[in-house]
Amino acid sequence: MARLLRPFVSGETYRAFAYYLATVVLGCVALCLLIAGWTITLVLAITPLVVPLLIGLRLGVGALAGAEGGLARELIGVNVRPPMESRATGFWARGFAALKDPAFWKQQAHLLLGWLIAIVALAPFSLGIQMLTIPLYYSSVDGLDMFGRSDIDTLGEALAFVPVGLALVVAGVYLLGLWRKLSRGLARSLLASEGERIVRPPAETRARRLRALTITSLISTAIVAVLIVIWDLTGGGYFWPIWPLLGLSLLVGIPGWIILVLERREIARFTLGSQALAIQIGISAVLFGFLVAIWAITTHGYFWPIWPGLCLALLAVGHAAVIYGQRQHRIERLEASRAGAVDVQETELRRIERDLHDGAQARLVALGMSLGRAEQALESDPEAVRELLAEARQGAGEALEELRDLARGIRPPILTDRGLEPALAALTARTPLPVTLSVDVAERPPAAVETAAYFTVAEALANAIKHAKAGHVDIRIESQNGTLVAEIVDDGAGGADPAGRGLTGLRQRAEALDGTLRVTSPEGGPTTVRAVLPCRS
Amino acid sequence: MQVVIAEDLALLRDGLSRLLRDNGFDVVAAVSDGDALIHAVSRERPDIAIVDIRLPPSFRDEGVRAALELRQRSPETAILVVSQYVELTYATELLSDGQGGVGYLLKDRIMDVADFVDAVRRVAEGGTALDPEVVAQLFSRQRAGPLEELTPRELEVLGLMAEGRSNAAIADQLVLTVGAVEKHIANILMKLRLPPSDTDHRRVLAVLAYLQGREDD
Repeated sequence: MARLLRPFVSGETYRAFAYYLATVVLGCVALCLLIAGWTITLVLAITPLVVPLLIGLRLGVGALAGAEGGLARELIGVNVRPPMESRATGFWARGFAALKDPAFWKQQAHLLLGWLIAIVALAPFSLGIQMLTIPLYYSSVDGLDMFGRSDIDTLGEALAFVPVGLALVVAGVYLLGLWRKLSRGLARSLLASEGERIVRPPAETRARRLRALTITSLISTAIVAVLIVIWDLTGGGYFWPIWPLLGLSLLVGIPGWIILVLERREIARFTLGSQALAIQIGISAVLFGFLVAIWAITTHGYFWPIWPGLCLALLAVGHAAVIYGQRQHRIERLEASRAGAVDVQETELRRIERDLHDGAQARLVALGMSLGRAEQALESDPEAVRELLAEARQGAGEALEELRDLARGIRPPILTDRGLEPALAALTARTPLPVTLSVDVAERPPAAVETAAYFTVAEALANAIKHAKAGHVDIRIESQNGTLVAEIVDDGAGGADPAGRGLTGLRQRAEALDGTLRVTSPEGGPTTVRAVLPCRS
Repeated sequence: MQVVIAEDLALLRDGLSRLLRDNGFDVVAAVSDGDALIHAVSRERPDIAIVDIRLPPSFRDEGVRAALELRQRSPETAILVVSQYVELTYATELLSDGQGGVGYLLKDRIMDVADFVDAVRRVAEGGTALDPEVVAQLFSRQRAGPLEELTPRELEVLGLMAEGRSNAAIADQLVLTVGAVEKHIANILMKLRLPPSDTDHRRVLAVLAYLQGREDD
């Protein structure tokens, strides 16, 4: 019993109700902004005015999304902070940064979808409250026509609506919890700044979702059945239960489609591999069907659903274009970085081969010769033997030294033994410069990432000493959301050439790991080298 | 003088055993991993254990870890760590108890048999032997605290002390008189503010302060 009553006493319900009320209002503003903004922008698309318009539209959408993010944070407990601007420098670039920014499109999608959800979520309340209040005003309206019943003029007729209204409000309260979950998911996937990806939920969540869907379907069917019975008992006539039926079909259809897409990954194959796009198209289709049904039931006249339908289709096309562009970009980057990785490896191997050939191998040959000559001289000249042996020993020592340097250049032993922090501490301890080192890494990253980070620091340090004549170097290593970030800042003369051999090698090394390396080094300094390396294995 | 050897490569293990036997040492055990080393030392109670850094199973720094454990368990056994590479970090860890009887050398040094045997004896008798590579690494870095007060000549003397040279050997190398070296050493110990105690112990402490780059307090 307490469980059944919980939605009525829980603050969550009231906060969700307030959220939907506010979203309806915000959604109206957003709709006006989008329709007006895009119309003007498209009309002026071939003039330079399009840039300030796009920037303005981006700011407007950002501000509204920011407001919705704030509402979501305060009222339905999703911690999202939508970015307000798309950053770029230069006149045209600033305008087109908005078009290329996935956050911009996602925010528009959220403004529209959030608005529709709010309307559907509030519909039972609006209908229910109307029905509940009929007994208060039926007498003051002549020939009141409501919900297919004409001429409501006795108290009995008016009171017949009260239980239905009550049932609608109660159903609305129960459904609010489900809508709230949907809105939370929507806000998380469309408003979060880094665009949290939808991942296949663990078995338990999946089971819970399926259970929720089944229960929703059963309750919906029951509600519809009850409404039809009421309709029949109240004398038939206009088939008003079609309205709750439509609303409930949305309620079942949208979560059902989302669960289906999440469960069956192959669906996403038809939508550029993106589950988010599949969900969006499915929801758009359901909403469009809903609007067409309303049109069919009400007017059959002017086909107004074409406009929201077009909007939804445009949004889906925009989303698809963004995904396609991103994928294309990623493919190009992967191709470039793979070529770079092969290059790096090839150059490294050639260097090692040459070092072995000219160094250790040559020394071993010389050593063998000294030993051979010593063998020959054994009988005739014992004094020469002593000299030759000393020479051989020295040669062996030098060969060892070269091999050691070579091994250190491939991967420093202390990095293998102890990990990044001790290795960097040892490296900086050998540096004739004051260095501040801070390493904040929770668990050991993969070996390739450690090595890349180590050599990035080593190269940047060497540059700081050799070229920049720096007086101090600041090294920060951090793990952030599954990546390792290495940042090296020196206070030297700057002017480093990012296309130089050392830095190019580092960049290719980072790209081979699907990471990035950025060098900022204005004349006069300071120089910042920042590598971001993903740690997914 | 009894020796235990821990080295995973049979070629080097046998070579080292033979070399030490030829020079009058009694090799009581030659093992190939850290656990066996700890076992052998607690059984044989040798004067010195010669330990490779990279040992099975992970071939990382097992040798250093085993050596540090031995310092705790059997402090009367001196330890000489030998390796293909030297790391300042390991040298500092090995010397950190300030007790002496510790050495850390590149395997290259074994080729100079007379010097190596000398170093083994010195470490077994409670002295230290740090590889010149370690000392070279120390020279390139920033110095802080009391080390800043040392003159270049005093640093040179301290470096040779870290390698474990006797006063006579230091005098020989730097072309000084033994008296001058003793004066330098007295200055170093004073500048590092080391408490008066027996000279051997203070020498180890001076080297440790040098390794850590600051006064050890």
